[in-house]
Amino acid sequence: MKSRVFLVAIAAALCSFGSQAQHTHDATGWLKKIYHATSNLSYTGTFVYQDGQRSEASRVTHLVDASGDYEKLEALDGAQREVVRFKDEVKCYLPDSQTVKIDKRTGVRSFPALLPAQISSLAESYRITKGGSARIANLDCQVILLTPKDAMRYGYQLWADKATGMLLRARVFNDKGETVEQFTFTELHVGPRPGRDRLRSALEARSKDWRIEQAAVEPADLAATGWTMKAEIPGFHKVAEVMRMLRESRRVGQTVFSDGLAAVSVFIEPLAGRTEPLQAGLSSIGAVNIYSLEVANHAVTVVGEAPAASVRRIAYTVEYRPPQ
Amino acid sequence: MNEKISALMDGELEAREHERCCARLSADAEALDTWRTYHLICDALRDTSVLSAGFADRVWAKLADEPDVLAPRARRDARRPLRRALSIAASIAAVALVGWMAFVPPRGAEVAQAPAKAVPEAVAQVARVPLPSAAGDYLLAHQAYSPRGNLQGVAPYVRTVSEPLGGK
Repeated sequence: MKSRVFLVAIAAALCSFGSQAQHTHDATGWLKKIYHATSNLSYTGTFVYQDGQRSEASRVTHLVDASGDYEKLEALDGAQREVVRFKDEVKCYLPDSQTVKIDKRTGVRSFPALLPAQISSLAESYRITKGGSARIANLDCQVILLTPKDAMRYGYQLWADKATGMLLRARVFNDKGETVEQFTFTELHVGPRPGRDRLRSALEARSKDWRIEQAAVEPADLAATGWTMKAEIPGFHKVAEVMRMLRESRRVGQTVFSDGLAAVSVFIEPLAGRTEPLQAGLSSIGAVNIYSLEVANHAVTVVGEAPAASVRRIAYTVEYRPPQ
Repeated sequence: MNEKISALMDGELEAREHERCCARLSADAEALDTWRTYHLICDALRDTSVLSAGFADRVWAKLADEPDVLAPRARRDARRPLRRALSIAASIAAVALVGWMAFVPPRGAEVAQAPAKAVPEAVAQVARVPLPSAAGDYLLAHQAYSPRGNLQGVAPYVRTVSEPLGGK
C-alpha cells in the first residue's frame, strides 16, 4: 500500500515537474530583472522601513553614469542621518555623534553572490515562485516569493515594478509567516538622471571637523591565527574574510557566510581592547539577529539576517586553538 | 568538549560555561551523543536499569510544554567522585560501548543516538540582552557583504544608522 502511494506521488511529481520548472524559471527571471534594475537604473524615491516596533521613512537617490554609480540614503524622520555610497565605499554621516564612518567592501571571495548566473543557486535553499499582481506606489507589480526550504533562514516576498523591474516592496518573514521587517516605496521616479550634486551629502560641509572612523579593511586568514568556525547551516558558504577597525581602535576579524540571499558575519575581537564588558546573549534589530559570547578571552559577535537559532548556532562553532 | 560535558553532568560548570555547554549540546549532534553515551556509561556503572526506547524524546516533548527553562543549579553531590573516574573511563568505555552497542537490540541504541532535533527550543532559550553599543558598527561592516544589497541597493543601510542605534 505504502509503495503504491509512493508511486502515485512520483507520477504526480513527474507530471507537474515540467510546469513547475517553467514557473521557477520565470520567477528567477524576475530576480535577475530586479538585480539589473537596481544596479543600472537612475532613480529617486521615498521608502518606509518597518520592523515591528517602529517605522522610518527615508529618501533614496541612485545615479549611474560613465564614472560609476552613486547612491544616497537620507533619513526623513528623527535625527538627520545620511549614507552615501560611491562604488565600493560607503560613508555614514551621523551629526548626533559628529562622526563620519567610512567602510569599504574588500576581501571578497565570491561576491556578489547574486550575479545573474548565480541566482539559480538560490534554488538550493529557497523555493522560488511567482505570486500574483499588486499595486505599490501607483505602479503595477509582480509578486515573487522565496520560501525557505527549512526553518534556518527567513523567507522573502518581493514586489517588482512590471515596467522597470525596480523592487518596490520587500517583506522578510519568519517560519510562522510573520513579518520580520519590510521596505516599501511610497513613491519612485525612475530616470531622468538626478544631478551629481544631489548625490553629495548635505552634511559634507558641516562634517569637516567631525571624527572620522575608517574601517581600514584588509583581507585576512583567521584560520592561520587559530580561529575556526563553521557555517553549519545548509547552503551557507564562506564569502569573505577580513580584518578591520571598529570604532577607532578595535581591531576585529570578520568572516561572512551567505546562502546567496541572507548573510551572517562572525566578528572576533580581543576582550582587552573593549571599553565595556561583554554581555553574552541575543539582541536584534529588524531581521538582523546578534548573538554575543566569549571565547578564549575574545568577544565573538555573530550578526546576520537569519533566525536567532541560526545565528546562535554559528556562534557556538567558533573555536580557538593556538596555532602550531 | 568531552571534559566539559562530564563536568556538566556533575554540575560543576559555572553559570556562563553551563549556558555555553547546554547550547552546544542543543546545536551539536556529536556533543549530544557524547552526553548520552556518558549517561549510559554512568547508568551501566551504577547498574541502573535501561530506560524504555524514546524515553528521552518523551521527556523533551513534555519539557517543551513547560514555560520555564530547566537549568540544573551547580551542585556538588555524591556523583562527583564519579567524574574523575569517568573522564578516564569514558575514553576506554566509549570504545567498548561502540562495540557493545552494535550487538544490543536497537532499543538501547536509540537512547544513545537520538537525533539532535529531538532537543526542543526550551533548552535552547537564550538570554535577551540590549543591543551591543557597537551594533551600528557591526551592521555597517556586515551590510557591505549582504547580497540583499544587490536587490535593494543602499536601502538596508537604514538599519545601520537607525535611531535605536542612536546613530552611534
